[in-house]
Parts: sequence; structure tokens; C-alpha cells
Amino acid sequence: MQSREEGAASGAAKAEEAYQPGSEADFERLYRNTYRRILGTLITLVRDRATAEDCAQETFERAYRNWKSWQPDAPVEAWLHRIAINVAISDRRHQRIRQAGELVRRLGRPAPGADPSLVAERSDLVAALKKLPPKQAAALVLRHYHGYSNREIAAAIGVPEQTVASRLGAARKQLQAVLGRP
Amino acid sequence: MSDLERELESELHRVLDPVSSLPIPPRRAAHPRVSARTLLGGAGAALTFKILTGVAAAAAAVTVVGAATTGSLDPSVWGQVVEEQVQTCKNALAQGEHGIGQCVSSVASQHGQAVASSARHHGDGSSKSKDNNGNTNNGNNGGGNGNANGHPKDRSTRSPGPPASRGS
Repeated sequence: MQSREEGAASGAAKAEEAYQPGSEADFERLYRNTYRRILGTLITLVRDRATAEDCAQETFERAYRNWKSWQPDAPVEAWLHRIAINVAISDRRHQRIRQAGELVRRLGRPAPGADPSLVAERSDLVAALKKLPPKQAAALVLRHYHGYSNREIAAAIGVPEQTVASRLGAARKQLQAVLGRP
Repeated sequence: MSDLERELESELHRVLDPVSSLPIPPRRAAHPRVSARTLLGGAGAALTFKILTGVAAAAAAVTVVGAATTGSLDPSVWGQVVEEQVQTCKNALAQGEHGIGQCVSSVASQHGQAVASSARHHGDGSSKSKDNNGNTNNGNNGGGNGNANGHPKDRSTRSPGPPASRGS
């Protein structure tokens, strides 16, 4: 894993320098280079793989609409993550509304069984991450899976760089509380 | 690094590493959004309202002109009346004479005046109305009070009549 001081962006720095805002070919290259990492983050934020794939596509749609005005003052992947986190927040909001409707329809009937495609991804820890506020969960995934630096996490979750350490501390505390660990 | 952090890293790699070998699907095309909000809110709402108002006004104008020209609210009658007038004008053309525009126009004008006059005489077509003498009509024979040719109503033809005597 790369040094966290350097951050995940440093490895892709050369490629990022070549991204030209508004360029169709560059956006397609960006999509190819970052799709899986964005999808990975979204899997820990939304309820299942299918939703994560849909949110990933929505993320790139939104990014494409703003591609011409993208300012390369922050790493492009952090910018994409910021969009992805916002998409996940919207999805969770809509999910709460859908769940209320489904609950009313399902009253008195047995609950549907677990989706077999989710069994491989079953993890108490990932399930606990999904219960955290999306920005807290994303901060943990960006640090502990993608190896982001504080600066990149700050750009992705939209807080000052000085705040990232305290946010990460709060996220770990919250995760422990959700897992029921001291 | 705490135990929790180690466990977190290990679990994230176990769950997410297989994702990095997944095929990348084709990118979904971004469509320009024309949502209901665009049509029903802000400037879109104003434009929609104007368009609907314009359509309604045009439909109303067609109905009024059609009814005033033919004396009927039934649109199927309108075409028939115009067709008859055109045929009448064609028959009236002298040998070698061309153009029936003036003829059709004068027939339409005469018809309009006749309808207007009839409306003044019989009331305006409402269920109950008072004529110039203060008598109450049922209005069933009123042909509408439209002025088909678009000229101001000829007020000089109105007979003022005696004022209605109230209570008699």
C-alpha cells in the first residue's frame, strides 16, 4: 500500500495531469481508470451491489455533466468520490421513503429471503459501515481501503483538511458503537 | 494501528478486492434532464402556462368565429354553411368572370348582420333575458348576440321603446 502521506492520488498523478476538462476521450479514460474504485466505495455505503452499480453510473453521469467545469485543484478521483458520496446520501434518503411504502405493503406477509448475490459480500463490519452516516463511512473506506491522504479525504467529504483527523476518530467511535464493542 | 482498524482493512479487502477484477460495464449515456420540475416550476411553469393559455384562447376564438358566422355552435355546421356559400357564389359568376372572394365575403357579412339582428330581437340566448320592452323571454330562440363581421353594432337600429313599467 502507498504511504498515506503521499496518498492514493500520487500513484495516478501522471495520469491525472493528462486529464483535460471537457475532453470526451479523457473522461472515458477516467471512467475506465476509476470505475471499480468508485464502485468499491459505494458497495460499503448503499444497501446492495445492484444499487451500488446504479449509483456508480449516476456518479459518472453527474461528473460528465460537470466535466467541462472541473478544476484540477483537487485529485480527480477525490472529486468523483465527493459526487459518489452525495449520490449515496440521496439514495439512502429515497431508500427510507421506499422502505416505509414496502413496510405498509408487506404487513402481515413474511419478509423476503436474503439475496443470494449478497452472501459473498456478507460482513458484519461492512453491514455496520452501512449504518454509519455516509460521510463517516466513506472517510473510513477512503483511509483504510483506498489509502487516501487527509487532503484527499478532505476533498472527497467536503471538510477542511484540519478536520479530517477528528472526523475519522468520530467515525471509528461510531463504528465501535454500532458493532457493540467497547 | 488499533485492532478495529486492522480488522476494518482486512474485511474491506476481503469484500472489495474481488470488485477490482469485475468487468467494467459501458458508461451510461448522460441525458439532458427535462423533469416535471422544469415544466411545472420556475420559468418552465410560466412558459407552460403561457402556451396553455394561448392554445385555450385560440380554441375559444375559433369557436366564437365559427358560431357567429354560421349561427350554430355545432362545428360540423360551420363547414357546411361555408361550402354552400362558396357554391352559391360560383353559380353566380358571369361567363369569363373570375374570383369569388368578394361574393363570399359579402354573403358572410350579410349572414353575420342577420344573426346579430336576430340576436338583438330575440334576446342573447341565455335562459332568461329581458327585451327592450322589459318582457321576459325564455331565450330558446336566441341565436347568440355575436357580430359576425367584426364591425361595431349598429345601435341606430335599436328602438328604445317605452321604459318597462315596474310592478304592473
